[in-house]
Amino acid sequence: MADTPTAAVVAARPAAAVPACLLAWLLPGAGHLYLRRTGKGLIFLGAIGALFVLGLAMDSRLQMAVGLDDILASLFSLAQMAIGLPYFIARMLGYEAGRVTSVTFEYGNTFTAVAGLLNILVVLDAYDIAVGRKA
Amino acid sequence: MIHSHILSLVLFAALVSLVFSILMREDPRARVRFALMSFAAFVASAIVAGWLMSPFPS
Repeated sequence: MADTPTAAVVAARPAAAVPACLLAWLLPGAGHLYLRRTGKGLIFLGAIGALFVLGLAMDSRLQMAVGLDDILASLFSLAQMAIGLPYFIARMLGYEAGRVTSVTFEYGNTFTAVAGLLNILVVLDAYDIAVGRKA
Repeated sequence: MIHSHILSLVLFAALVSLVFSILMREDPRARVRFALMSFAAFVASAIVAGWLMSPFPS
């Protein structure tokens, strides 16, 4: 795999932590690509991207319920938003409503929310690599 | 699109296991082993949970 650590790659790059985390949030795997972990980055992009796209294909709703009225709905929205740009692009393309009558509606919601939650772990992994905690 | 419960389960388990294995293991062989174990645990636990719930009315 392209993740074979070299001396130059393993060296911590604390200054790269903020851009790496920002890129990792905007697009799954982009933070790892920025940190030259090409293999990891492409796998994250493919796997998390596939989860999100499959969720949309299963008629997931991309709700934006941010507030304290309904805490669970807000947490769910935050989970979906954690995937970054794909969430906002999909909303702009008209996928925000979903189809509540679809038999796969809840599956789709699960796929899109888990894609976002996994992306949070990927952002943290990018941070760990940038500060030298992980190779 | 996908109307099969088991196919949805398998896709979900495979993709999540892949990401978990890359995040949690460094060695390629350990990654493969972890991914397979995680995939099996996802699928088996979902089937067992479904089986346990089957006597209850929907």
